Amino acid sequence: MIRQVKAELLKVRSTRTTIGLLLGMIALILLFTLLTGLLATASSFAGAENQRQFFSLSDLAGVFSALAGVMLVASEYRYGTMRPTILFTPHRSQVLAAKTAAGALAGFAFGVVGAAIGWALGYTILTGRGITIVLSSGDISQLVLGGLASVALWGAIGIGLGAVIRNQVGGVITLLAWGFVVNPLLFGLLPSVGRFMPSYAGDALVGLTTNHLLSPTVGGIVLVGWTALLAAAGLALTAKRDVG
Amino acid sequence: MTRVVVADSLTKRFGSVLAVDGLSFVLEAGTITGFLGPNGAGKTTTLRMLLGLAAPTSGTALLFDRPYAELEDPALRIGAVLEATDFHPGRTGRDHLRMLGQAAGVPDSRVDEVLRLVELADAGRRRVKGYSLGMRQRLGLAAALLGEPDLLVLDEPANGLDPEGVRWLRDFLRAFASGDRTVLISSHVLAEVAQTVDQVLIISRGRLVVESSLEDLTSRVGGAVRVRSAQPERLVAALAHEELKAIASGDQALVVHGASSERVGEIAFAAGIPVHELVTEGSSLEEIFLELTAEGES
Repeated sequence: MIRQVKAELLKVRSTRTTIGLLLGMIALILLFTLLTGLLATASSFAGAENQRQFFSLSDLAGVFSALAGVMLVASEYRYGTMRPTILFTPHRSQVLAAKTAAGALAGFAFGVVGAAIGWALGYTILTGRGITIVLSSGDISQLVLGGLASVALWGAIGIGLGAVIRNQVGGVITLLAWGFVVNPLLFGLLPSVGRFMPSYAGDALVGLTTNHLLSPTVGGIVLVGWTALLAAAGLALTAKRDVG
Repeated sequence: MTRVVVADSLTKRFGSVLAVDGLSFVLEAGTITGFLGPNGAGKTTTLRMLLGLAAPTSGTALLFDRPYAELEDPALRIGAVLEATDFHPGRTGRDHLRMLGQAAGVPDSRVDEVLRLVELADAGRRRVKGYSLGMRQRLGLAAALLGEPDLLVLDEPANGLDPEGVRWLRDFLRAFASGDRTVLISSHVLAEVAQTVDQVLIISRGRLVVESSLEDLTSRVGGAVRVRSAQPERLVAALAHEELKAIASGDQALVVHGASSERVGEIAFAAGIPVHELVTEGSSLEEIFLELTAEGES
């Protein structure tokens, strides 16, 4: 199993897809942090919740981590490498488990890079503008650790989604539509349901206190639940389907 | 003899189409078998079932006495190439082999070894999108060889190869199977594999139509020799003396079955009969193949 995870991590590293997604994430985090940090009024950084919102970049990083996960599965179908992959590891559950682990590890790396850049730049800008950071060390560690956990889980969610959909374009569109359209719509219209969507479960996990959000613990459990659900669905379908 | 592959009543149905229909065969260790049939005959589907990529609708396929998916690290016993195009274009050939090798516990030193073996050592660190079709074919073969397998399963490996590539492949396969190793190689062109294989399985519409050694198949070739002579009666007698039957075919010509043109010529020469025309008629190996697969379709 360790061998399979190593193989999957090599797949992640050996094409330009991952580095492209990583650069995309860095660019968006820089853009968001610079624009918000420099242009927003000082009053919009007043209070802990506003500062938490500013520093919670895991949604942004999570999208890219999930995209990397989708690609790690879908590109194998796209380019036919799933055939040799399964010939070398015929137990498909092992292939998928290794991919889930690799997706989570890659996601964790995305989270570390995103957090390092977001915090360094955000902190510099706020202190440079003379805004006092009012977050406690507990707030900060929850933002950072919860963020890392959620970005890593997003990577694993991407693997499950990719295994269910298999098609590269279909997987990417589904992910973006789900994350950016379905989740916010549901949360806006039916918050009692919408808060169980992974984006909002992730918000709860990093300690945001927006109305209707779940508690951090429940948010974390819900996010793990989504990961498990998609992994199970992906496995059930992968085990059943013939490889073309 | 060790039975390396045993297919028993393999059947695969896609909706209303019976792609493979009760296929049974055995491959013994040390043989090179050509798996032949026209496109769409069910060759690839059969190979996918052998290799655990597709589940048979019914029947079983055993490799080294077990279903592929139940073998421990099958890549160390069986090497297979199903498509020449199974690469991520943005990954280097060497990384492609490394990622597969790691899953089977094959060290990177073996990766470099197989790259040298298929003459891709210099191209290994280039991205696959810059490879020619022949290079991709060889990279696929390199992946199959990573685990030093005893059985090689290749689906249409000569597709798109230039004559030099075909010869390289033939030499390689002969060297590979010179020990006790086994090869199953599919093709839709008999001539492509005729110089490599020692037995053939011919399928048509998912059914086995011929299972024979290449020798037996070749003996059906050149079934008729057409000979024209000024003295046909004497020639008939001379041939009859050698227990060959000649049938008159008008214009002083005879058709002789069961002998090569060389033999007929020698008999005529020995009897002092002048020959005006001597040609092999009828089936080449390819024509026999077409005939056999057409039978399956009727």
